[in-house]
Amino acid sequence: MKPLTSLVIGMALLVATVPPVLGAQGKPLNVTGMHNLTFGAVFPGVPRVISRTDPANAGQYDVGYSKFAPIQITFALPAVMNGPAGATMPLVFGANDGGYSSPETITSQVGFDPRVAFATTLDKNGRAAVFLGGTAQPLASQRAGNYTATITMTVTVLP
Amino acid sequence: MTRALWLVAALGFWGSAIAAQGVMVAPHAVYIDHRVRSGSVLLYNPGTEPVEVTISTLFGYPTTDSTGAIVLRTVDAPDSTLPSALAWIQAFPRRLTVAPLERQTVRLLARPPAGLADGEYWVRLVIAAKAGTVPITGVSDTTAIQVGLALQVRTIIGVAYRKGAVATGVTLSNLRAHLLNDTTIVTQSRLVRRGNAAFVGTMHGTVVDSTGATRATFMSPLGIYFTMEPRIASTIAKLPRGRYWLRYEVVAEREDLDPSVVLRAPTARDSVRLVVP
Repeated sequence: MKPLTSLVIGMALLVATVPPVLGAQGKPLNVTGMHNLTFGAVFPGVPRVISRTDPANAGQYDVGYSKFAPIQITFALPAVMNGPAGATMPLVFGANDGGYSSPETITSQVGFDPRVAFATTLDKNGRAAVFLGGTAQPLASQRAGNYTATITMTVTVLP
Repeated sequence: MTRALWLVAALGFWGSAIAAQGVMVAPHAVYIDHRVRSGSVLLYNPGTEPVEVTISTLFGYPTTDSTGAIVLRTVDAPDSTLPSALAWIQAFPRRLTVAPLERQTVRLLARPPAGLADGEYWVRLVIAAKAGTVPITGVSDTTAIQVGLALQVRTIIGVAYRKGAVATGVTLSNLRAHLLNDTTIVTQSRLVRRGNAAFVGTMHGTVVDSTGATRATFMSPLGIYFTMEPRIASTIAKLPRGRYWLRYEVVAEREDLDPSVVLRAPTARDSVRLVVP
């Protein structure tokens, strides 16, 4: 079979496997957590600050959609992490802990306050990356054990 | 051909995504016809871990705040003055697990009340995706304090239900524009929707010089549900000092939507002076 024929058949099969809804009403929206906010070593009484520009530990969430599309990004940020026997560890997010990057690079961010809604427009490629930093504040008497919390990022398609 | 290429590209992207948390949602806007009364949304998990998905609905619509930023205004209990489908469009299933590299379909079923007037009714679909347990991180050997954060990603898309004759349009007024810096133009105008359906379209801006030559163009998708005054900042090439006209159009066209779901409407136009000092 000639390569061109194979290509045409391959494309036809690919298109046929996609549910009609995908092509009928617009591009898919992809919101993906690429890297979780990570605090690494945490010591009692020593705050652990993670910058949104920290490539190893900042949270990164990628958005892929339609070019120039207006979207709204909101975070639900926990005030504490829950640990053993009801113990909690404070978690603090500041006004500059959110970062937005159209080129999807950690070095070209525009800061924003992740505690309030952030409205923006995707670039000509329809893609962006959102970065998140924060501070864990273990007490000097912090109880040993595992501490967990959930960060929720919401992307709303506005049009 | 363009659509076919796009679909192939989308599939290629799906196949290449790895180690991600979240689901891909298609389409990003659902239109349900009264004669069909159902719709569907496709979820795809591009990651390597199963994703737990919870589906819910809310009522809300885009509007602008005092700064001109476009925001989603939500109404917990919409009354009869709002075109809400919250009470009678349901999603099935409401909880599901999408396996890695698998896709699942969420069905939308409409049970509109008898005697529903012609028009367009809105609801928003909330797709909350939570990956499996996120590994605890930290150093337990020296501190015995381990910290782990779970991640939930929520995607909110629009659902519009259309019954009978639907029409839309937009009235444009109070256009203003200025340069924020050498390469950023800021426009703002008052946009009022007409008819009984949301105006889904695109704003096109064109900067022309005194000879009528085009010096810059920019665009932005718009959804006008009631009234809004969107402040839109766009990047343009640096303009030489001088006087220009900004031609501003709001057209009922969208590149990201199938033309069959975009309601036709007359183009709204206006223009305003732009001075580069």
